Amino acid sequence: MVDIFLNKLKKIPSNKQAIIFNSKTHSYGELLIKINDCYNIILDAFDHKKVVVILGDYSFSSIAILFALCKHKCIFIPIISENEQEIKKKIEVSNPDYIIESSSFQITSLKGNNHSPNSYYDDLFNSNKSGLVLFSSGSTGNPKAMVHDFDNLISTYNVNKIKNLNFLVFLLFDHIGGLNTMLNILSMGSTMIIPEKREPESIAKLIKKFKVNIFPSSPTFLNLMNIGGIFENYDLSSLKLITYGTEPMSENLLSILKNKLPKTRLIQTFGTSETGIIKTKSKSSESLLLKFEDNNQEIKIMDGELWIKSKTRVLGYINHDNNSFTKDGWFKTGDLVEEREDGYLKIIGRKSKVINVGGEKVLPIEVEEAILTLDFVLDCTVYAKESLITGQAVAVKVVVKSLILDIKQIKKNIKLHCKKTLERYKVPVEIIITDKINFTSRFKRKLD
Amino acid sequence: MEKNEKIINFLEEFLTEELDETIKLSLDSKLFGGGGPLDSMALVTLIVELEEFLEDEYNVNITLADEKAMSRRTSPFSRVSYLIDYLNEKINNE
Repeated sequence: MVDIFLNKLKKIPSNKQAIIFNSKTHSYGELLIKINDCYNIILDAFDHKKVVVILGDYSFSSIAILFALCKHKCIFIPIISENEQEIKKKIEVSNPDYIIESSSFQITSLKGNNHSPNSYYDDLFNSNKSGLVLFSSGSTGNPKAMVHDFDNLISTYNVNKIKNLNFLVFLLFDHIGGLNTMLNILSMGSTMIIPEKREPESIAKLIKKFKVNIFPSSPTFLNLMNIGGIFENYDLSSLKLITYGTEPMSENLLSILKNKLPKTRLIQTFGTSETGIIKTKSKSSESLLLKFEDNNQEIKIMDGELWIKSKTRVLGYINHDNNSFTKDGWFKTGDLVEEREDGYLKIIGRKSKVINVGGEKVLPIEVEEAILTLDFVLDCTVYAKESLITGQAVAVKVVVKSLILDIKQIKKNIKLHCKKTLERYKVPVEIIITDKINFTSRFKRKLD
Repeated sequence: MEKNEKIINFLEEFLTEELDETIKLSLDSKLFGGGGPLDSMALVTLIVELEEFLEDEYNVNITLADEKAMSRRTSPFSRVSYLIDYLNEKINNE
């Protein structure tokens, strides 16, 4: 399947721009040559059917190494972390044979690493297929490693008509959304622009300079761009489409975006590492309602939770039980959804993030949306606070525009507003005014 | 201002805001349960705010709703005087 994909890439005009990285442009012709070069180096270094870490984020070489490894029937493990402890943890869990450092092409053998083999790797090798290992954050702090049949995954990307579109690759190399963006771009013969820094200013400069048309993003990052005044200060008129996913979007932010970027379509994407990305349709740019329209995926809603049966499902977890998969193949996503008219759905949050106040369930987003309508509030994040009385209670961290009022008065106003607009148990018992809300390196909110 | 008076002032301010009417308290006033003005969510909020108040005023970091407080025969949150005794006990034990 990977060979079929690569053969189709050969039909794209070889001078067409494929990748822009570090201000250098690489054509589809150059990419195919680079993949071949990498393949030959790897061929000299080790036999086929190995498990190999690609260390480094998106770059011209990391992409070429990825395809070279697939041609070599290897299982690849993208790791972008620069933190040694993180890397060590992931290596321990996934048990690779080699590490390739993508910027220097240094190959390190980890043989003598005698871990027990796992059956998912064996199955892939026995059926002559390439594989992919992804990690998701486990609740215990140890990453959960899962194995994809990459030949199967890539078979869902059909190389169709060539489209002259410029994409900014915002999501990362080790993320299902990031890999999805890359495979989509290449299958359309479009151009991918790889950012060196994922900061609002530098992303805006790239969008402007390379006339980016499509920007897959996250609500947190779009919010940062908004707070940073990016939409007022940069010409982003080339943007035809912004997609957002990975966490719930607030209605307030969506309407700000629609206002500031009236000509850009805003579409919600959905996917999980376990199932791959699902094709969706947003009701409109102003709407958080979406429909799943994907022949490779079936969905159903069980007790408010979204379940997916996917043709691109992972084989399983290496270091975790497979309880989130049912015997008949459904994956319990942990995402809560509401069914609306005409088959549209609204994603309302993670099951694990629901705050249980004495048996009453509170979704962080509904409280956040209430607080965000206050004009002196810039940003906020709602979380559970332990309470000996109600088990959990609602707490919130709020960023305000400037301290015109004193903190006590601000808290009072927030509380009063919440009482007016929310049910009693949803009103935060603790309000912390802070100067910024932290987010992870993947631009999802985090709490400390 | 004397400590007890400060606590009563704090409680009055809290209740006034919470109930949206001016509240005057005496040592005998009921708080939670037995017809007192606090509902359970107000109690949860009060505990959080009291902890904050104690930290600001007396520089003590105290968990007010602990297992011990919950299992007392008379709840420290039922009456103003009980709450004041309980807070003093907590502050002195720090």
